[in-house]
Amino acid sequence: MTPRERVMTALRRGQPDQVPWIENEIEEPLQIQIMGGRTDYTPGELCRALGMDGFGYHFPTGRAGAASQALQTSASMKESFYFPKKITFDFVPPWIADMGVEPGGRTFVKKGLLVDRDSLKLFDAFLPDPDHPARYEQIAKWIEQYREDYAVYARIRLGTASLIESMGLDVFSLMLYDDPELVKEMHLRFSEWTIKVLGHLNQLDFDFYWANDDHADTKMPWVNMEMYEEFFFPYQKMVADAMRKPWAFHSDGNLFPILPGLVKLGMNAIHPIQPAAMDIGRMKAEYGSKVCLIGNIDLDYTLTLGTPEEVDKEVKERIAVAGKGGGYMISSANSLTDYCKIDNVWAMSKALKKYGKY
Amino acid sequence: MANILETIKEKCIRGKRVEVIEEVKRALAEGVDAKTVMNEALIPAMAVVGEKYSSGEFFLPQMMLGARAMSEALQLLKPYLAQGTYERKGKAVVGTVAGDFHDIGKNIVKIMLEGGGYEVVDLGVDVSPEAFVNAVKKEAPRFILMSALITLTMDSMRKTIQALESAGVRKQVLVGIGGAPVTQKFADEIGADFYGSDAHGAVEKCNQMLH
Repeated sequence: MTPRERVMTALRRGQPDQVPWIENEIEEPLQIQIMGGRTDYTPGELCRALGMDGFGYHFPTGRAGAASQALQTSASMKESFYFPKKITFDFVPPWIADMGVEPGGRTFVKKGLLVDRDSLKLFDAFLPDPDHPARYEQIAKWIEQYREDYAVYARIRLGTASLIESMGLDVFSLMLYDDPELVKEMHLRFSEWTIKVLGHLNQLDFDFYWANDDHADTKMPWVNMEMYEEFFFPYQKMVADAMRKPWAFHSDGNLFPILPGLVKLGMNAIHPIQPAAMDIGRMKAEYGSKVCLIGNIDLDYTLTLGTPEEVDKEVKERIAVAGKGGGYMISSANSLTDYCKIDNVWAMSKALKKYGKY
Repeated sequence: MANILETIKEKCIRGKRVEVIEEVKRALAEGVDAKTVMNEALIPAMAVVGEKYSSGEFFLPQMMLGARAMSEALQLLKPYLAQGTYERKGKAVVGTVAGDFHDIGKNIVKIMLEGGGYEVVDLGVDVSPEAFVNAVKKEAPRFILMSALITLTMDSMRKTIQALESAGVRKQVLVGIGGAPVTQKFADEIGADFYGSDAHGAVEKCNQMLH
């Protein structure tokens, strides 16, 4: 099987020739370490170095590595959205927020700016025109140039993470009671933006979409099922219905309390099944017949603080538990961050070769 | 009196802030003192909210709603409490450790601590070990509570404890830690006094430490 066939088979809950490896992101400084200090490699070269089966996210493209592009935002970022300088496959809207930059370059939300009805005007100020052709034209060329035999995905958002990050979790929580219709209006606007983007992405040669929409912490989701069904599901479903390709859903944290509702969206896969929050054995037993599982290699300890031996053991265990009969792709339980130990990333690659064959 | 305190408690648990304020005003008008309202209605209400959050019955928005009702009632009571003999349980300095800019978890702990009757000094995010040391010297808190969301920054907790020791103030405070990648094992390893598995857990641990 080609890497692409492997990924697409697993996404349909089939059993490929070996367990595929796919990551939601590899932060650029780590990519550069993997590539021995080079910055001008192609996505395929990075995949071959690790034994990975697909890519999306972004690459340094001969420039200095940035920790993350997905969180970048500013009212003036529209131009950089239309005309990306680095190879990227991302189509996420910016947070409508006051952003800060850590010394290492990683961005963070200082304060959400969607706090009342008046702030609705910020949508126009922050969100790029989803119908501007330049980004689609450029990324279509990059797909053609770099896809080789790999699965290529676009990262998008259903709108929920955009809503929560742009309001702030505290404002969002209280607004559910103070002005529920405003929360719905804001979610709708983010979702409509993605639907317009999908109108273009569906014409491009992507193999699948990866919707990144955190709405949980390790304890539980930020809303209960009743709130999920009222405030999130209707808008998420609109986006899901606009997708003409398979798709994976991403949210960190413990999704179990809302998972019966969430899976009604009809995603093909769920990621990252964070070990501190969700048991992958339970996921396989309860949802393995509905969705492909992606992830569960621990980022909180194993990849970042553990030893290569511990990584080897964890990969072996996960494949034994989640890989049975297919429908599983190995992946870190979020992304390969630049603070993962490089020896552990190589250990993950070796372990997959050792234990991943069906 | 018991009835009105019970009403305040129930309404606070359900986050009915307007009704809580009305009932608190009524209680004061009827001669119930502010300290009694705090100790027998509002703090017990937040304990229930915390327990419901901890058990998974309440989700974050429900907890925030209860906390807001409590906070607004507290603002109303403050002038009365200042005149009397009411004392907070203790002072806690909270902060997200150096290199870490995530504040959601820390803010939830802060809300629950205030709801639990503690005075809280919030140092914000990316708080250096030196800033924690200075806060101990300036604020004389009973507790230092540190938060980290990513593995990368957990070591700042160890460095902060070392800085407290070097400055000779470690024994003046109880140090608690929490956050997604943090564990009891890590707390033991770095010499923290306790680990809070969630916001309610952090408040419970503080309460236990006081006794």
